Amino acid sequence: MTVDTEKLRNLLTSVEKPSRYTGGEYGADAKEVAPFYFCMAFPDLYEVGMSNLGTKIVAESFRRRGYSADFCFTPYRDFGEGLRREGVPLYSLALKKPLGEFDMVGFSLQYELCYTNMLYMLDLAGIPLRREERRGGRYPLIVVGGPCAVNPEPIADFVDIVFIGDGESVDADVADIYLECGGATEEFYARISRLDGVYVPALTTVKYAKDGRICGFEGITRVRRAIVDDLDNAPFPATQPVPNLESVFDRSIIEVMRGCYRGCRFCQAGFIYRPVRQRSVETLTWQACSLIASTGYEEVSLNSLSTGDYPKLRQLIRSLKENLPADVTLALPSLRVDSFDGDFAQDARRISLTFAPEAGTQRLRDVINKDITEDEIINAAKSAFDMGYCAVKLYFMCGLPTETDDDLKGIRRICDLIKGAYNAAPRKKALRISVSVSTFVPKPFTPFQWERQITKKEVEERHELLKKLLFIRGVSLSLSHFKTSVLEAALARGDRRLSSVIENAYKKGCILDGWIDEFNVEAWEQAFAECGISPDEYTRERGEDEILPWDFIDVGIDKNFLLRERRAAYSAKVSGSCLKKCNSCGLMSRCPAARGEI
Amino acid sequence: MICFKYTRTDGAEYLSHLDLMRHIMRTMRRAGIELKKSEGYHAHPRLYLNSPPPVGVQSVAEYGTADTEFDGDFVGLFNAFSPSGIKCLGAKYSQNNPNYANSVTACSYIAEGVAHFDADLVLGEKNIVVCDLRGRNLDIRPRIYAVEWQDDKLLFTLGAGQNNLRADLFCNYLCGRFGGRAEKIIKVASVGEGVF
Repeated sequence: MTVDTEKLRNLLTSVEKPSRYTGGEYGADAKEVAPFYFCMAFPDLYEVGMSNLGTKIVAESFRRRGYSADFCFTPYRDFGEGLRREGVPLYSLALKKPLGEFDMVGFSLQYELCYTNMLYMLDLAGIPLRREERRGGRYPLIVVGGPCAVNPEPIADFVDIVFIGDGESVDADVADIYLECGGATEEFYARISRLDGVYVPALTTVKYAKDGRICGFEGITRVRRAIVDDLDNAPFPATQPVPNLESVFDRSIIEVMRGCYRGCRFCQAGFIYRPVRQRSVETLTWQACSLIASTGYEEVSLNSLSTGDYPKLRQLIRSLKENLPADVTLALPSLRVDSFDGDFAQDARRISLTFAPEAGTQRLRDVINKDITEDEIINAAKSAFDMGYCAVKLYFMCGLPTETDDDLKGIRRICDLIKGAYNAAPRKKALRISVSVSTFVPKPFTPFQWERQITKKEVEERHELLKKLLFIRGVSLSLSHFKTSVLEAALARGDRRLSSVIENAYKKGCILDGWIDEFNVEAWEQAFAECGISPDEYTRERGEDEILPWDFIDVGIDKNFLLRERRAAYSAKVSGSCLKKCNSCGLMSRCPAARGEI
Repeated sequence: MICFKYTRTDGAEYLSHLDLMRHIMRTMRRAGIELKKSEGYHAHPRLYLNSPPPVGVQSVAEYGTADTEFDGDFVGLFNAFSPSGIKCLGAKYSQNNPNYANSVTACSYIAEGVAHFDADLVLGEKNIVVCDLRGRNLDIRPRIYAVEWQDDKLLFTLGAGQNNLRADLFCNYLCGRFGGRAEKIIKVASVGEGVF
């Protein structure tokens, strides 16, 4: 069965941005007849999801096996309500096939606040939300992956399979086994649960003590992350669909490296994507050329967690300039201040440059292992100003472990120094500094995974101080909302009991929680209260001897290494980049840098 | 310059005008049809389109002008690299830009779903005042050029350019007065200097 969008004409003409729902993207490709149908569902709006490279890589891995891979995104409320009114199930974009008719529907969980969107999409598709409710029915396998999958426990009751780690091969391996077993049989689950990167929540039981804390796991008690060693030979979509409407990142994206050498202690991505793996200049050049030719984009973004650390960046830029059309610009969105180089920034649009000192003082930057100095920040800004930049965005966090008012005052000091550097020479335009301060959220698999999140009162006090400190000409301040941060913290370090809270919040109308205008804090508070669960239980400091909800997942990082890093943080001791010295994180055998190959 | 006629169907009718511009520019980039660029700091490709129909109204009579030196198979290449709903129906070389946004003075449409009514009744009115999308009262009668039935489909011609009347607004007026619901509106022809 396919959904006839012609019959949805009246609905489409009455909703905002109807081209989100029509499909027909140039370059979109989904086989109509295939042995296995996979729908890559993205739990956020079309323009966000279409910017995501990971989902396209996963879809490509299915296509390479001869399977059909289509896409679906969270509809905005107007379209979702319209689908319900018309009695039409949520459908995929290319095939217009209801989600319920796929063999596998995979959600890419990029951030915790998208969990209700997943339930919303299942609900719109007519698929029961809970795994138990689907048992015995003809429903697709509901699977999840992405960075949030490293602690899948809050959504474990909703899904059949969790993919942990790199999705280039294991996802499609599961499809192979599904076909071999003739469906989701017991044999199927037994076989896939032996694969690296596959977690079957039904096969693991969590044991709770009387005080509500976890006292153990039963069943499958160890799940290893899937790691792709060779990115050059990993599936990559050389052609990609061009979004119907302008997406958040409306350009071609190539992934230069996966992982990061730096080990900033707050950064989950810096740990869960270890070890650092690189693509070769040759591979990246053909990928960029292929994408530009097949999409018509005018810009290529060189993405990674820290593109400035790519050892052959200069060679790569030269190769891209030689091989791409002359009017194609290069964007390097993740340059650290200590890797900022005038030559790299020349190609970007010279309007605004973003730096992320994260903390205002050297002491706190050492605590978080940021490993950049004030001089490096100012020198990078000076270089940018000399090239014509007249606006700087600065990212900081508040609520970091050991933070004091002096650290917040340090943010003001950095702004003053940057202003001084700008005004030291005659400039045509006035300098604009945008300071963005987010609330620190402790995440699993980081040295700060045991830390508490600061309270609402503390956040309010620190925000007030920042507003006073940064009420200066030419500086704008943007503060993240505490109410979303606390939910993010609870869900990031949550356990299975939170599934009832998420479901309850969804039933109260909570969707699109990552969009501040849509976030309904009262509904979430009620959802927690009605389930007899306090978010404080999840935002509190955890004991180092406590069993954490994600302890059965092995991302390859040694827990003792995380503890060593935590102690180093409290001593304000920098561990430094993996390129300088191996810190024995646990992945030495798979790490090219540890083996001295870089 | 190359003047070209193109469609806006098969889902492309839901694109905003800016998104449509982007798609046509990217189609040309993929096809290797190089557009000349404007001068200035933020140079942009010199591509000119006629005024867009409302979102949701299909069209087989859109016009555009591309400032280019390209002298190959424009239609063939465009169609090989364009999304399914944006297809080139014809192209011709021109010394000057016809500026279709101004030169198209009227457009004909076909609508389905409007309840049957006497077309002369509408054409006999001296004034037809409706509330436009900005909440202003507007006499649309001078912008209605022709209305007739072809079987159960309504064929009508409305002003475009400076005398523009939105086809969906007109259909809403008709449905409000005579009943029915305009399920599908297609622009079938544009009238004006330079169209082909």
